[in-house]
Amino acid sequence: MSAPQDRTATANLTYDELAGLKADRELVLLIGPAHPGSGHMKIKVWMDGDIIQRVDPDIGFVHRTTEKLSENRLYIKAIPIVERVMLPDTINANLAYVIALERLLGIEPTPRAQYLRTLTSEINRITSHLYGIGLYGIFLGSSTVYMWAFADREPLIDLIEEISGARITYSYIIPGGVRWDLPAGFKERAETVLQYMEARLKDYGKIWVRNPVVMDRTEGVGVVSKSDAIRLGITGPNLRASGVDYDTRRAKPYAAYPNLDFEVPTFSEGDCYARLLQRVEEIEQSIRIIRQVLKDIPDGRIISDDIYSKMNPLQKRMYEMKHRVMFPAYMASMRPAAGRSTASVEAGRGEIFFYLVSNGDKVPFRFRWVTPSFLNLPFFTHVMVGQHLADLPAIYGSSDYFPPEADR
Amino acid sequence: MIQILSLLMSVSLVSFIEYILPPILYIIVFPGLIVVLLMLFFMIWLERKVAAKTQLRFGPLYVSKRFGGVIQTVADLIRFSFQEFIIPAGADVFAYIQAPGLLMAFGLLPLIFIPVGPYYANIFPANYSLLIVVPLIIITPIYVILLGWASDNKFSFVGSMREAFLVISYEIPLILSILSMILLYGSVNAINGVSFQIGRGIPGIVLNPIAAFLFLVVMIRTTGRFPFEISEAESEVVMGPYTEYSALFFGIGMSLPYIELYSFSLLFSVLFLGGWWPIVPSAAAASGVVGGLLLPGLVVFIKALIVMAFLVFLRAVYPRYRIDQAITVGWDQAVYLGFAAVALSMALVWSGLV
Amino acid sequence: MTGRKNNRIKGHVDALATGFKYLAEPNRMTLNYPDESMNLKDNYRGFFAVKDKTCIGCSLCEIVCPPKAISMLDLTDAGGKKKKRPMIDWGLCIFCYFCVDICPTDAFQTSQVHDKAFYSETEYQTVHGEPMQYPYDYSKRPDYKEIYESFHDVAPDDPSAGSKKVVPKFDKKRGIKYEHPGQP
Ligand code: SF4
Ligand code: SF4
Repeated sequence: MSAPQDRTATANLTYDELAGLKADRELVLLIGPAHPGSGHMKIKVWMDGDIIQRVDPDIGFVHRTTEKLSENRLYIKAIPIVERVMLPDTINANLAYVIALERLLGIEPTPRAQYLRTLTSEINRITSHLYGIGLYGIFLGSSTVYMWAFADREPLIDLIEEISGARITYSYIIPGGVRWDLPAGFKERAETVLQYMEARLKDYGKIWVRNPVVMDRTEGVGVVSKSDAIRLGITGPNLRASGVDYDTRRAKPYAAYPNLDFEVPTFSEGDCYARLLQRVEEIEQSIRIIRQVLKDIPDGRIISDDIYSKMNPLQKRMYEMKHRVMFPAYMASMRPAAGRSTASVEAGRGEIFFYLVSNGDKVPFRFRWVTPSFLNLPFFTHVMVGQHLADLPAIYGSSDYFPPEADR
Repeated sequence: MIQILSLLMSVSLVSFIEYILPPILYIIVFPGLIVVLLMLFFMIWLERKVAAKTQLRFGPLYVSKRFGGVIQTVADLIRFSFQEFIIPAGADVFAYIQAPGLLMAFGLLPLIFIPVGPYYANIFPANYSLLIVVPLIIITPIYVILLGWASDNKFSFVGSMREAFLVISYEIPLILSILSMILLYGSVNAINGVSFQIGRGIPGIVLNPIAAFLFLVVMIRTTGRFPFEISEAESEVVMGPYTEYSALFFGIGMSLPYIELYSFSLLFSVLFLGGWWPIVPSAAAASGVVGGLLLPGLVVFIKALIVMAFLVFLRAVYPRYRIDQAITVGWDQAVYLGFAAVALSMALVWSGLV
Repeated sequence: MTGRKNNRIKGHVDALATGFKYLAEPNRMTLNYPDESMNLKDNYRGFFAVKDKTCIGCSLCEIVCPPKAISMLDLTDAGGKKKKRPMIDWGLCIFCYFCVDICPTDAFQTSQVHDKAFYSETEYQTVHGEPMQYPYDYSKRPDYKEIYESFHDVAPDDPSAGSKKVVPKFDKKRGIKYEHPGQP
């Protein structure tokens, strides 16, 4: 394994000069942005034979200026914006933003709303992990697990659709609570889906996780040691797969997590296989959490009194009739007092961090968020060096990197 | 005069039916070009359908819905033939254009030397059939390398290099596997091999399972089925050697593995699955086209279809190996297995068990 | 199911057996869309229309709409009275239903209609100051009912027109089963 070259030494060279540096041995491959194995990013790979010498991930192809967009809009309008960059994982983005906003406004959601947030967040975590596992399948060449994972997201998506009326972009969580209550008979239907998921996970284990070819491809590949994982600042399942027991749900509890009993699985190996197992284990934990939430969910309003009291009589009547939150006009004119707030939420791929600054205006003065995929990026350059070219998709896929999320 | 003419005509008609028709039949119809084409359409459709079934999908459906979309591949062929054929600016035009054609030619050639019925011995020299088939099967990848080299694309280049490495590493196991069967049957004539199996009543796969397994692995590897779909690995090298190709030429590249699969499967059923057993043509029937070529051929073909169906099904189960792992298997375990197969054959022959 | 120790041969056999299991008993999740289409959930966020009589022209929906899909039109009704009414650009709308929820008079008539094809951009694009084209032309079609019904009768621009309606049902073994409500 040779260390990556000093970036500054080659930074000013053109592509042709770089390619000519070691023209006799070195091959420069541009993987992406239009390559079946890259996603919306470009990975520049310097290779010697089949061994990767240096990797330069080039991101930003799907940068959408979410921060600046949100700084020019009403607070409520940022909810769809933060969702758009994390499509497999919208509830968690929504939740992180709303928690930061609530802290700015000084609103506390009701207990039932907290549980509903946890419920949808965990369902979303499963779909997000399935998305990751499925894409990992296609990276390693197994179209079966790809199709399976994407098909199995369907019942889970349908579950949240029953609550929120949308399939991906739920916009479900608002300051003070959530927008819709559970429909009648939801618990039984959710239980059906969970049992289906559990049965399917066994088949995933047979055809994918314990498939000898998969184990050959992933074991000992792309190893991130515990200290490296901490030093590189990677987050989420990738961090836990390296043996660091850090989960925002535990470390900085939010929503209903303090009341729930769940485990944070960790693996000590830190290789691609550990990252794959980590996701499977987390799906199992999420199923456990969903069961608890459905059992323990308290009765009560799904919107805090602050918001409820601002509704007009018709809207209050609507709420009592349909358990559906109508927005008081306040939603369109929120002016948090000057101040700043932060929020961390454990999304499917890791910790989302929000930082909001208000100067008392209708729009945020500063809107800053860090997404887990962006934090997970440095780990590519670190572990890909010295691996085979064929390990590049194995490592890339195992990290569940989602370019739009990293680019924001 | 007229009598002489009619006599001549009848003689030439007889000789036509007897001497000229069978080779034409063999090359053009079965197991040659026409059946190859039909097999291609069917196999590609079957592969997609089988994968789709395993993957909670329907697969090709909307072209000829009543028959499960079975002519989807024909539609694809039509689409390919109307696409623009693009020659990249940096390509070596001559090599770029000729490589797919040569590839196709050498992909089809082995078919002539695989006897699908006892009548084969009357048409072609069958005495050295196995000796000719092996080099013909091994030679095609050279044109894959030419293809990748001519395209002037780094991914094609990497893909064709992978192909080269893999071919070399799996040659020895292939030869050892066939050698062990040659030792066992005591002949390089595949027809003798089949008679041997029919005579003993034991198919080759039971006689020497190691060789059969090895042959199967090499077959998966050479035809680029999963888990050895390495030189075309999409997430790594786009389409491997075929990255730059478009239109019909891409279609050739895509269908070549299936043609190879076809000839390998025919060879497998001849060598290991008892050939045309349970049809055992009598000496009289064997000298006729129907009894000696078509009926036994049908049996061999059905056996080959089953083997092919199993191999395309592997797509739904396995991801792909990394190239160094595949090469290691080829040079290491597979060669040992090959020696074991040869040893087993020798032991069987010497001990006089068969 | 986790843990690293694995018997290779058992692994291969398990993988092949699982593949065969699904091959023999396919559990298809695909909905053959133009032939079958789903009956969407009761609270599905589909197309909606504004009830002209109920709307008070307060512009709250315009203010809260995240992609600015709503713009207020100045209209004159039959009696010559000036009024403001929201006009929705379906090319921009993201179906977040913020407008529906914020309306103080609950003037929005919602539907579960999701499948709608537009033949040209002009059919859904807002031209500021110009009235919208069919079916959101308030000057020509002041009655919300007609608009609402235009969602519900199967219009030629609905791609799923004439399809079999199916109801998705959760199932322990198959995840989702599509049932035909018409069948016993
Ligand atoms: S649903 Fe959302 S995007 Fe559409 S018009 Fe209403 S507020 Fe605007
Ligand atoms: S919020 Fe309701 S009442 Fe106000 S303009 Fe919009 S539709 Fe009319």
